[in-house]
Amino acid sequence: MEKMGVPAIPMCTQAYTELAKLTAARDGMPHLRQVFTPHPVGGKTDAELAAYLVNPDPVSGIQIMKEIVDDLTKPLTADETKTGLQTMAAGPATFGPDTVDNLQEIFMNNGMTDYMPIVIPTEEKVQAMLKATSHKPDEVLRTPVQGVGYTSARWGYTVRQVAVNAVMAGCRPEYFPVVLAMASLGPLGLFGSTTSSSTAIVINGPIRDKLNMNYTLGALSPFAQANATIGRSWTLMGKNLTNGGIPGDTYQGGQGNQLDYNNCLIAEDEKNSPWPPFHVQLGFKPEESVVSIFGGPDLRQGHGARGAGAEIAMFDQQISFMCQSLVGGSGALAILDPLVAKRLVDQGYDTKEKLSEWVFKNTQRTVKDFKESFLASFHLYPLALEGREPYASWYKLPDDAMIPFFVSAKQINFVVCGGQANAFFQIANMNHGRSASIDKWM
Amino acid sequence: MNRRQLLSLLGISPALLATPAAEADRKKKEAPSSAGEGKLTAVSPKGTPPPIQLYSMAPRASSLDGKTIYVVDATSFLGSATLLHKMQAWFQQNMPSVKTVFRTKAGIYGADDPKLWAEIKANAYACIMAIGH
Repeated sequence: MEKMGVPAIPMCTQAYTELAKLTAARDGMPHLRQVFTPHPVGGKTDAELAAYLVNPDPVSGIQIMKEIVDDLTKPLTADETKTGLQTMAAGPATFGPDTVDNLQEIFMNNGMTDYMPIVIPTEEKVQAMLKATSHKPDEVLRTPVQGVGYTSARWGYTVRQVAVNAVMAGCRPEYFPVVLAMASLGPLGLFGSTTSSSTAIVINGPIRDKLNMNYTLGALSPFAQANATIGRSWTLMGKNLTNGGIPGDTYQGGQGNQLDYNNCLIAEDEKNSPWPPFHVQLGFKPEESVVSIFGGPDLRQGHGARGAGAEIAMFDQQISFMCQSLVGGSGALAILDPLVAKRLVDQGYDTKEKLSEWVFKNTQRTVKDFKESFLASFHLYPLALEGREPYASWYKLPDDAMIPFFVSAKQINFVVCGGQANAFFQIANMNHGRSASIDKWM
Repeated sequence: MNRRQLLSLLGISPALLATPAAEADRKKKEAPSSAGEGKLTAVSPKGTPPPIQLYSMAPRASSLDGKTIYVVDATSFLGSATLLHKMQAWFQQNMPSVKTVFRTKAGIYGADDPKLWAEIKANAYACIMAIGH
């Protein structure tokens, strides 16, 4: 509004002081007049909120309503009328020469690591990484963009800059095409939402065996270099390539997320799965290697099936049961041990799509539950007001009407991996976002 | 079974039993080659930030007398609309010549609402936006 010539006062709570100031600066008004209330606003009584307005702004110390009136009437200072283009620097191009220990400290203290030791990215190592792709080092994967929006959507990066992060994560050069394919899918790791949402990365195709990825016993644990380091690279890229992961600035996740260390990297066990692999579901050829990115809040384990002792264990019902406690706006990525997948076939689900459809139709809740869910009031109700379906129709139904938990069966996806030690599965509360060919980055 | 497998079964790292000569050879192989004795030069892992276009803020009037101010719930987070209604009440009581208009921005919290911005530009002197939480 200020750019349109209208004086504007953004108000937010004290918890977001740094973010609000940095956002204003990045949007071209470093001296924007902002007002802060105590935190939080949600959950306060009417009287408490009225008191906020006549008490001091916890940041400036000035009574809030007086501050607002002053901010709307005080003449502008010279700083507040500055125009022009301000260039930004990402810091020095190199660090050192120094000892390995000192460089580890420098990288850690400057927020460029995940606080675990890195492989020091020397020029030699970066060059070795770059030899694993036919793409030129200065090829731009993402162009820096001016304007509003998440910081992660504004920074740019090249093939060479991705290579530096791949080295740091401990990737071997032959992993580099996978990391490049991931980088082509930005925004990258450490997205920064207050929900602490994280990522799951699914790898399909021949690359899994070429890189000795683990998709059998302990597939989700640290038992293979490719699984460990490729997953780690997503977070390092988010921190370094797009300036993510700065608590209070570009990262606001309330509790954070353990998944951010490895981003739940999953190589699908295509050999032992009774169904076509995930990338083939998307329309890729079986012989193509593909990376897919999922995003959402968490990962939880489903201990077996419903109906213990029954002739056919009812894994479909257990999956549906677990889905009812997910955050509805995010989808479900069920990670099934091959034993579970085979038993689901025994139940009659000869395709993943049939299973998705069953879970979609049989996972329901009341309109009242939906309306009272965390996301509904501020995220989905505005969409309903715009006439966006199905939310617009759901908001017109009586409170006791039953509605699907998910918006569509396509929000429910399945991948297979595990050592067949027990018929267990896990569910990531995540939506499929983007997928990319790895082959084109070789 | 080779020597490495045997040591592994005993829970001993082969490196611990390496001869001094073998150890010296290993260290030589691992010696850094980038710069100076025992020192490395590291490449920055950072991406490229965009330049920032600076904008002038909007000129201020010396008084709010007779002015219209929009109070906008920009995120629909819990409590924000109530806070803004309290602000309208404050203006009514303390600066009755100021007219306030309440609006909720359309769409989810990150979505643009050019229709509302145009309405404010056409009708108001200023706006106050409740952004979050």
